Amino acid sequence: MLLETRNLTKRFPGVVALRDVCFGLKPGEIHALCGENGAGKSTLIKLLSGIHPHGSYEGELLVEGRRAEFKGIRDSETHGIAVITQEFALVDELSVAENIFLGREPRHGWRIDWHTMRRRAAELLADFGLPISPDTLVGELGVGHKQLVEIVRAMDKKSRVLVLDEPTAALTEQEVAVLLDHLRRLRAQGTACIYISHKLDEVFAVCDRITVLRDGASITTLETRDATIPLVIKHMVGREITDLFPRKASAPRATERPVLEVRGLSVAPANGAKAFLRDVSFELRPGEVLGFGGLMGAGRTELLMHIFGAWGARLGGEVVLRGDAYAKPSPRESITRGLVLVSEDRRRYGLVLGQDIGFNFSLSSLKMFRGFGGRIDASAEQVRNQHFFDSLRVKAPNQQARAGGLSGGNQQKIVIGKALMTEPTVVMLDEPTRGIDVGAKLEVYELINRLTAEGKAVILVSSELPELMGMSDRIIMLHEGKIGGVFSRAEFTQERLLAAAMGKLDTEAVA
Amino acid sequence: MRFRMECGASAPLFSGRLGGPPLRRFARKRGKQSGVQPSHSTRAPRDKRVPFATIFMNARALLKSLSMPIALAVIIAFFALREPSFLGSRNLTQLIIDFAIIGTLALGMFMILLTGQIDLSVGSGVGLIGGISAVLVFREGWSAPAALGAGLAAALVLWALMGTLIVKQRIPSFIITLGGLLIFKGVFWKVIESANVPVSRGDQENLFSLLTTYYLPPNAGLALAAVISSALGWLVWRERAVRTAHALPLPPVSRDLGLWFAKSGGLFALVLVCNGFRGVPLSLLILGATAVVVFFLTKHTPFGRYLYAIGGNEEAAVLSGIAVDRVMIGAYVLMGVTVAITGFMTTAFSGSSTTTVGDLMELDAIAACVIGGTALKGGRGTVWGVLFGALIMTALLSGMRLMGVDPWVNYVARGAVLVLAVWLDVKLARS
Repeated sequence: MLLETRNLTKRFPGVVALRDVCFGLKPGEIHALCGENGAGKSTLIKLLSGIHPHGSYEGELLVEGRRAEFKGIRDSETHGIAVITQEFALVDELSVAENIFLGREPRHGWRIDWHTMRRRAAELLADFGLPISPDTLVGELGVGHKQLVEIVRAMDKKSRVLVLDEPTAALTEQEVAVLLDHLRRLRAQGTACIYISHKLDEVFAVCDRITVLRDGASITTLETRDATIPLVIKHMVGREITDLFPRKASAPRATERPVLEVRGLSVAPANGAKAFLRDVSFELRPGEVLGFGGLMGAGRTELLMHIFGAWGARLGGEVVLRGDAYAKPSPRESITRGLVLVSEDRRRYGLVLGQDIGFNFSLSSLKMFRGFGGRIDASAEQVRNQHFFDSLRVKAPNQQARAGGLSGGNQQKIVIGKALMTEPTVVMLDEPTRGIDVGAKLEVYELINRLTAEGKAVILVSSELPELMGMSDRIIMLHEGKIGGVFSRAEFTQERLLAAAMGKLDTEAVA
Repeated sequence: MRFRMECGASAPLFSGRLGGPPLRRFARKRGKQSGVQPSHSTRAPRDKRVPFATIFMNARALLKSLSMPIALAVIIAFFALREPSFLGSRNLTQLIIDFAIIGTLALGMFMILLTGQIDLSVGSGVGLIGGISAVLVFREGWSAPAALGAGLAAALVLWALMGTLIVKQRIPSFIITLGGLLIFKGVFWKVIESANVPVSRGDQENLFSLLTTYYLPPNAGLALAAVISSALGWLVWRERAVRTAHALPLPPVSRDLGLWFAKSGGLFALVLVCNGFRGVPLSLLILGATAVVVFFLTKHTPFGRYLYAIGGNEEAAVLSGIAVDRVMIGAYVLMGVTVAITGFMTTAFSGSSTTTVGDLMELDAIAACVIGGTALKGGRGTVWGVLFGALIMTALLSGMRLMGVDPWVNYVARGAVLVLAVWLDVKLARS
């Protein structure tokens, strides 16, 4: 084995990210790593590349049969491991040649040897059949070419193992084909490759073997020629639903008018950019929990943030909120109209960490406490804060405790409390249980039941399929910015949902 | 680092409508907050050690809160020993007028710093606004109130313009106000034609010149102190009544009473010191009024809450439905108001508008805020702290002037104090 892991276990506070992972990479093979979000793929790569250094995990890492102890990225690079992530480690303002040799510039004494650098860069690019001049600024290249420049750079470092994390997420079909061709050529030259992708088509097109990770454990390793897409999906999902989801479906309210209607919505990240969300339509009725699922980057968070008015430029389609067209959304306007968002990244988008709990609770609702001369009626405010503090069962000495010092679950309660204090009609929850403990999760679920019982409508985004299935009345799976499938409660199965998330709803019948 | 430790959606949030990639300042802040965060603070400490830890923490907190009074006492003691007249009523009154000038400007700067922005243009602005009014009085023969009104209007327009450029065009405040510093200085010199422009014609008294030369008669000063003291007492009493009505917990009576007693005592002592010379200076009343307004704004209104929220976490503030743009422009407009007031007082204090009026005052104001515990990255600070910082800064400047130190010592000392204060700010932010 070129690269091997034996019983790797990696713990984070409160979570076991990897347990007893065994994985082997043969020389000259392309080996796929498959798994749901949070299955442990990224953590495994970080161990292989030295980002999580030796000593921060249990188990063994072997390179060509010898134990390796990486202390950092440099160590893994000297062992010939190169990692290429979705986020490029390229400097846009420098030329292709400068980027390829960044940190390893050929020199004449103290000076950079520009001639050698340009000549060698040109050779490397020609080797790869890339029609790019070494003098082009990287910022002028498309995403596909950037990806290839990264690979060229890795190859110049004489890498023996290339780790590609979702390399095709931003590429067009044509660029994907070029990339896969290059990978096959590298394989023919003896370079091994670890290939991580949600796109099973690509995996089956280029990979020799597939290792499936689930819940931090290595489940199985398959020869690609013996495997099928449904079989891989089954391994990725195959867990028992043991968690408790106390969803109490409220009385059917299908007759009532929807509180939120979205029709044919297309949104680009910025003015003039390509559409990221395409033709999204759905309705939301009072008392309903509508779940949104999908893989990382499918556009769930962006959809919510756009409806709320905090992301993207609308290209087409319309949003109707409580019967009124809502064309120019902003967070301020949304809150006024009774639409709130609890963001997935509570520390970044939700809380003022340096301030106390009460400050954060009432931040969106200060208008309610308007007293004499524009003054905040501090007593009324404190009473209302205390009501939320108690009813959400925040575990802190009092509401004067600093928000930054609370646990994840309690911080989440503060963000939810802030949203609910504005007395909303539609509540959008983006990953409300991420990173919080089981007890707090249960409280969030009960809160969702309480909200729908009061006739509020809830949109729930979650990466955990069991949670999504347990708590939603309907589920929409997003796939690359489009709706991949709509499911009513009776149609929920993990296989079907995951197939829809991968855009493979039509091929899942075999399972 | 090649990996992002964060596991969020890969598409850039907040691009497009909310304008461009987030500022560097945010990126750094976020780097600290995101990713897997072991929350050490929530881990229960080993029970036996709690008392020691608590005592230690309390001692530290006490030391921290006392550091400013100690610093002030050391400075005063130093100058009083070198130059006994430092504590004389005459010098103290001078010091109080200086304090009023720096303190007013620092209070405006305080609201800017709270949002995490900065304003470097205020020193030049002070000169310019004072100069405009002086020219209108001396050369154009306007009445003093009209000239002051025109100066104030000019300040409002200029600061509203700068605030709008910073917020709407997303030009960093450092650059805009640095440009303002130079432009205002240039325009200032053009306006007064690099000459001395007195604030009144033929040594007659007018509202402008009286700003720093009028003193309340001793009895009026005492009466005012009595009125303010009773007002404070009434506020405490009303606060307790409202809290009782809402069934909220009350602080012990002894604490409220003790605080009120200390405040009233300080007030009367201040008036007596002033009365020892010529009475309470009008400029101190102006500072007092400004401080009350800023205190009310920052502590008791949504606007003030939003200043803290924007400085604490601007992205969260936007998503909480705060009109961040409007609040920031508002902060700059208020800065403009304090610049105008300071400009009038400084110019009046030096008797005429000259090219050096307002020089480096932006740095004195920033230093006063930071010494007083205002965080440069925003979201932390109090009016009391700022006033204290301004007092320390003034004591230092006034003492050096009294001792007649060389100008180079003056500059080095101011610089050293500024660096020391920011260094302390960084240290405190970490702990």
